[in-house]
Amino acid sequence: MLTVCPYFHVHQPYRIKKYRVFDIGKDNQYFNDSSETDLNNRKIVEKVADKSYRPMNAVLLDLLEKHPEFRFALSFSGTVLDQFEAYAPDVLESFQKLVATGRVEILADTYHHSLAFFYSVPEFERQVAQHAKRIHELFGQAPRVFRNTELSYRNDLAKWCEDNGYLGIMAEGWDPILGWRSPNHVYQPVGCDRIKVLLKNYKLSDDVAFRFGNKAWESHPLNAETYADWIHAHHGDGSTINLFMDYETFGEHQWEDTGIFNFIKALPEILLRHPDTAFKTPTETIQSYDSVGEIDVPDILTWADTDRDLTAWVGNDIQKDAIAAIYAVEEDVMATEDTEIIEIWRKLQTSDHYYYMCTKWSDDGDVHAYFSPYESPYDAYVAFMNALSDLQLRIQHILVAKQQLANEEIEEQENKEEVMKTPGVWKRLQQWALHPFKRLSRFIHLRT
Amino acid sequence: MKVLTFGWDFPPHTTGGLGVACQGLTRELAKEGVEVIFVLPKSQSVEGNSRFIFADVEHMVRMREVTSSIAPYLGSQSMLDVYDEYGVRKLYQNSLLEEVHAFAHRASEIAQEETFDLIHAHDWTSYLAGVAAKVASGKPLILHVHATAFDQAAGENVDPSVFKIEKEAFNIADRIITVSDFTRRLIIDKYKVDALKVHVVHNGVDTHEPMHHEQTLQEFHQQGKKIVLYHGRITIQKGVDYFIRAAQKVIEHDPNVVFVISGKGDMTGQIMQQVGALGLSQHVLFAGALWYQERDQMYQSVDLVVMPSVSEPFGLVPLEAIQHGTPSLISKQSGVAEVVSHVLKVDFWDVDEMANKILAALRYPVMHDQLVREGKREVSRISWNVAATKVVNIYKRLIELIT
Repeated sequence: MLTVCPYFHVHQPYRIKKYRVFDIGKDNQYFNDSSETDLNNRKIVEKVADKSYRPMNAVLLDLLEKHPEFRFALSFSGTVLDQFEAYAPDVLESFQKLVATGRVEILADTYHHSLAFFYSVPEFERQVAQHAKRIHELFGQAPRVFRNTELSYRNDLAKWCEDNGYLGIMAEGWDPILGWRSPNHVYQPVGCDRIKVLLKNYKLSDDVAFRFGNKAWESHPLNAETYADWIHAHHGDGSTINLFMDYETFGEHQWEDTGIFNFIKALPEILLRHPDTAFKTPTETIQSYDSVGEIDVPDILTWADTDRDLTAWVGNDIQKDAIAAIYAVEEDVMATEDTEIIEIWRKLQTSDHYYYMCTKWSDDGDVHAYFSPYESPYDAYVAFMNALSDLQLRIQHILVAKQQLANEEIEEQENKEEVMKTPGVWKRLQQWALHPFKRLSRFIHLRT
Repeated sequence: MKVLTFGWDFPPHTTGGLGVACQGLTRELAKEGVEVIFVLPKSQSVEGNSRFIFADVEHMVRMREVTSSIAPYLGSQSMLDVYDEYGVRKLYQNSLLEEVHAFAHRASEIAQEETFDLIHAHDWTSYLAGVAAKVASGKPLILHVHATAFDQAAGENVDPSVFKIEKEAFNIADRIITVSDFTRRLIIDKYKVDALKVHVVHNGVDTHEPMHHEQTLQEFHQQGKKIVLYHGRITIQKGVDYFIRAAQKVIEHDPNVVFVISGKGDMTGQIMQQVGALGLSQHVLFAGALWYQERDQMYQSVDLVVMPSVSEPFGLVPLEAIQHGTPSLISKQSGVAEVVSHVLKVDFWDVDEMANKILAALRYPVMHDQLVREGKREVSRISWNVAATKVVNIYKRLIELIT
C-alpha cells in the first residue's frame, strides 16, 4: 500500500505601499496601495484569483466529484482569507465548496503567516488561536495537524504541538536530517510520545512546484503518466508520498500554458489505476501508519534554498533589525488593548515583508531568484520601517492617553470623595453634574 | 593583436571619468596581450601628457602625440575653457569642432604610418579621428561611447554638430561599445543605430583601501547634524536642481541636515540662486570643486552621497564614495545603477522619493551600515579586467568576421 498526501498552501500577504518618511504621523494606512504595481494587494488578489484560485478550484472540485478516493489538505493564512473576503468572495465560497465534500482537510497555522514561534511564543499562541477560530467559522473544521510558516520546524515546536493536542506536524524531508532514511514514512519528533511528523518529499514536490514549466529541465515536458511512474516506483520502500506545495503553483507560478492544469486533472486517475495506491489526508496518514523512527531538528529547518534555514527571511542585518523592531514593541502593542493597532502590528509580522529585504542573491548575482514587489530590498526595508515608525507613534499616543485617563480616574475618585464631604445638597449636585462633561472634553482633547 | 586607439584625455590630466576609464581599460588590455597604440591630441593645458607610461605594462603601450587642444565636455562652438595650474582660464582661438577635425586629419596620417589590426576610438571627440583612420587604412573601427550629446544636454538643445558627428560615425563604425545598457538603449533609440552592432561593456573601477583623512565639517556632526554630499559638475545633465528641490523637502521634515555641493559648472550661478530663492542658504554649502585629498576627505566625512543625474552613461561617484565608506543614493537614469545593488536608487525627477530616501538613509543606521559593508564587497568585484576581457572578445569576433 502506498498513499499520496497532497497539501496546498494558500497565502497572500498585505504588502506595504511606498510609505515615506513624511507620511509618518500623517497617514495610518500602510496596505492600501492603489497603483498599477505589485504593491496593490487588491490587484494581486484579483489577478491570482483569475489565473490560479478560480480555475484550480474548478479542477479540484471536478476531481473530488469524479474520484471518491481523491483527497488532499489545504492550509490558509488568515491574511489571504481576509483578502478573499474583501476582494474575491466567490473564491472563498469555492474553497468552502471543496471543504464541504468532507475530503479536504485544513491545517493549523498562524493567522498572520508569521515567524512568531521563534520570537514570541505567547504571540504565536494568540495567532494560532485566532487562525483556528477563523477556520472554524468559515469551514467548520478544527485543524488537527500543524504547519508552520515557511514549513519552519524545530524540536520545541513539535513539542508545543504535542502539548497543545495536535496529532501531527509538517516539515521538510531534508536529507541531512534524515540521513540514510526516506521521507516517505511517518516519524516521531524527538522528545514527543504521541505526535507524528510528516516530511515533504521535496524532490517529487519540487518537480511540480519549481521545475514543471522549465524547458531546460531534462524531464520537460512532464506528463502525468511519467510522474505517476515516479510515485509508483516507491511501492515497497515507502508508505506515504507527501507532496507539499504552494497552491499558487497552479496557474500563477506555473502558468496555464505550461499544461499544469491538464497535468493535475489527469494525475489522480492515473495514480489510482495502480490497485495498491490511494490518497490520504494528513490526519488519515498519521492515523494509518506507525512511526518508523525519530526526527531530531535542534536548529530551524524550512523549505527554502539549499540551506533550508531562515536566512532568506532573517539573514542580513536589515532583516534582523526589522524583525527585532517588530517584536520589541509587543508589550506596548498589547497594552493598548486596541484591536486595530494589534491587527496592524500582526500584519507587519507576515514573513513576506522580511523576505522582500533578502540580499542573498548578492553572493550568486541572481537578483531575480528572490521575487519581490519592491525594486530593491532597501525599498522594502524603508517602507516597512517607516510604517512601523508610524505605528509606534500611534501606540505611544494611545498609551499616553490611557495613562492620563487612568490618572483622571484616580483624580475623579478623589474628587468624588471630596464632593461627598462638601456641605449642602445643591453644591454637591452641581459638582456631580459637571463631571461627565469634564471627563469627556478631556478625553477628546487627548485623542486629537 | 595591435589596436590603434584614439582618446583625448589620460591621467594624471583628468577632468572626469573618461581619462580614468581609458587608463584602466588600456592597462588591462595590455595584460591580455593586446598591443595598444594610444593616440592623444596634445593639449597645452597638460604638462607631460605626450608620453604616459604604465609601470607594469610599459613595453606594451606606446604613446603618440598630435598637435591639438581638445578639452572635454564642451559644446562644439564653445571656446576652449582650460585652466592653468593657478586656476586662471586660458582662451584658445579655435573652436572645439576645428580641433576635432584637426585631430582627424592627423589621425589619417598616423593610420598610414602605423600597422595595426583594429581601430578603437573613445568618446565623440575621437570619433572623426577613428573614421579618418578607417578610411585611410581600411581597418575595422570600434567606437567607445562614454557619453552622447543627449547626456550633455539632458535631453534639450542637443548640439547639432556633435549629434551629426556621432550619427555619421555610428553608421560607419563596425562595432559600438557603450558603457551601459542605459546608453545602448539611448543610441539605438535616438541615433537609429543597428542594435546588433552595439555591445555593452560596463566600466570597471580600481579599488583600493583609501588613505584615511581627518574628518572635515566636524562641527556639524558635533551639533548632531547629518551631512549629504553632491559631488560632480554643476551642469544640466547632473540634475543638481532636482537635488536642491529634494533638499528643501528634507529640510522641511528635518532641519538638522546639511547639504554640501562640491563642483563647478555652467549652472553654478543658477543653482546658487535656486538655493537662495528657496531660503536654503543656511542648509546648503558650496564647497567649490574638490579634488584629490580634499574630495576624499569630504567623501569620508559625510553620511550620504547623492548622484541625481538626469542622464548618466555610467557614473563613478557612487563607486568612489563607497570606497571611502559612504553609501549613495543614485538616479536610475545612470549606467552604474546596472552594476550596483547595494545603493539606494530613485528616478531623478521623483523629488519626493529622493527626499524620502535621503531621510531614510539618515534615519536608519542599520541600513546605512549594511549599504557600506555590502557595497564595498560588491564594488571590489567590479574590475577593469572583466571589462577588458569583454573588449578582447569583441576584437576577436570582429577580426574573425573580416578575415
